[in-house]
Amino acid sequence: MTLQTTYQDMHDAYLLQVKHKSDKLMNYFLFSFFTAGLGLAVFYDTWLVAIGIGGLSLVAYYATKWLLPDSDAYQYIVSLVFGIFMAQYIYQMHGLFEMHFIAFIGSAILITYQNWKLQIPLAALVIVHHATFGYLQYLGYDKVYFTQLDYMTLQTFIIHGFLATIVFFICGLWAWQMKKQTEVQIEQTYEMGRFQEEQAQRNALLQSNEELRKSNKELDRFVYSVSHDLRAPLSSMLGVVGLCEMGEMDPFIEKNVSLLKSSIKKLDGFIIDILDYSRNSRLEVDTQEVHFADLLTDVCNNLKFMCTEDQRKVEVRTKIENGIAFHSDRSRLSIILNNLISNSIRYQNPQEADPFVEVSVAITASSADIRITDNGIGIESKNHEKVFSMFYRVSTQSVGSGLGLYIVKETVEKLNGVIKLESEPGKGTVFNIHLPNLAS
Amino acid sequence: MEPKSRKVMVVDDNQIDLYIAEMVMKTTKFADEVICMGSARQALDYLKPLHDRPEELPYLIFLDINMPEMTGFDFLNEYKNLPENIRKKCIIMMLTTSLDENDRKLAEENVFVQRFLNKPLDKDKIAQLK
Repeated sequence: MTLQTTYQDMHDAYLLQVKHKSDKLMNYFLFSFFTAGLGLAVFYDTWLVAIGIGGLSLVAYYATKWLLPDSDAYQYIVSLVFGIFMAQYIYQMHGLFEMHFIAFIGSAILITYQNWKLQIPLAALVIVHHATFGYLQYLGYDKVYFTQLDYMTLQTFIIHGFLATIVFFICGLWAWQMKKQTEVQIEQTYEMGRFQEEQAQRNALLQSNEELRKSNKELDRFVYSVSHDLRAPLSSMLGVVGLCEMGEMDPFIEKNVSLLKSSIKKLDGFIIDILDYSRNSRLEVDTQEVHFADLLTDVCNNLKFMCTEDQRKVEVRTKIENGIAFHSDRSRLSIILNNLISNSIRYQNPQEADPFVEVSVAITASSADIRITDNGIGIESKNHEKVFSMFYRVSTQSVGSGLGLYIVKETVEKLNGVIKLESEPGKGTVFNIHLPNLAS
Repeated sequence: MEPKSRKVMVVDDNQIDLYIAEMVMKTTKFADEVICMGSARQALDYLKPLHDRPEELPYLIFLDINMPEMTGFDFLNEYKNLPENIRKKCIIMMLTTSLDENDRKLAEENVFVQRFLNKPLDKDKIAQLK
């Protein structure tokens, strides 16, 4: 998820607001300057200057603004225009000294744009104007109307210039400072907004997490009761089949009952596989200390009733190198061992005199290596990859759901482990499982 | 486990499973008398008045977990409040289709439960109990 607004967007939007507000103010100021010029024209009958110079200034400003609306050139023009008004007023009032202050008014007005550079055109114009007109008056030209003094001494001129420089400098400084402050403010507002947005996102995430947990729990309950409701009638059927087997049966019926039994077992196995798959993919890993000896005893007890009449008992040998506690998810380990050992029983080699499956476990501080070896029918090498796929069955004689090894692989991966297969048809199969010790 | 009176109680809401349990136990001569209870409530009502006639109590109770109204675990909760002479006499075995780890764990943690068996009950499983 990305945040709705970037800092740059917010920064630009705020500066645009400053610009619009200042532009609006400029309209009033320029109108006032023009009107003031007309007012001053009354004194020395300078109507032409007031309308001509003032009017041209306004035209210059609005033309620039209209022609280059996206550039801030018109702001530099307004800076020049303030200088020109100063010169115009000084002239209109025949050098009245106070008219020089107009430059300071202009300088102060420009602060609103928060751009210190806007002081430059005004200052430049004032310098050029003073130098030119001061010099012309000094040379004795008539009707320059720069000052009411006969001429300005160099000392007065320097002090005049010095003070003006200070005013421009300070107004420029304020503009710069206001800009800095504005940026700090934007940043704070932005950070605050971002914080609130993040908070909102975090809350949304927490909420969806909670909903997910709830729906997972509901799903778990659903799977639990569905599997129970599906399996309960099957186990009743198996029970009734068991009752039939206890009595004497006609061979024809006996055969049919045994077919019935294997079908029921197949369906039951399928439901159990789906249940295991669903639990493995949804439930979190529940780490606890695992005693392999107990675990294997439980698994073997569960498988004890698995052998059908046409299958011999398969000897289950276990070799556990104990000493270090192993931590992992017991029920997942049980799923893995159950599937692999039952496969060894199911796919035993009829030619073999002594069918066996050997489970050896070696535990270290960081991992456990489980090796399951059998002398069963084995798997052709071209099928080594495929046997782990969902619903893959090697042959039509395969009796399982085609989910067993897929579930084993998924479960091993859920425990961050790796499973490898070595097998040769007619010799047997070895599964090597490497699982991390989840002690820490 | 060779008691004098071999009276066994089976608590299950499923009539077929009650029938299977009864038949298996009678055919294998595992029990002389099988008391079939269709609900946990019915089983409790049967046990309660027997505290002064402990000789009539079953020595084994096969208890299903998934039952409507009152589950096997609900039964165990009430069972622990029964008089001591009842509790001492009876051995409880869970008999269920459930493969759920939690059910197994809960059952194994319960002091009154001796074993956790998966349905269906058959002659091999009975042979193991003998």
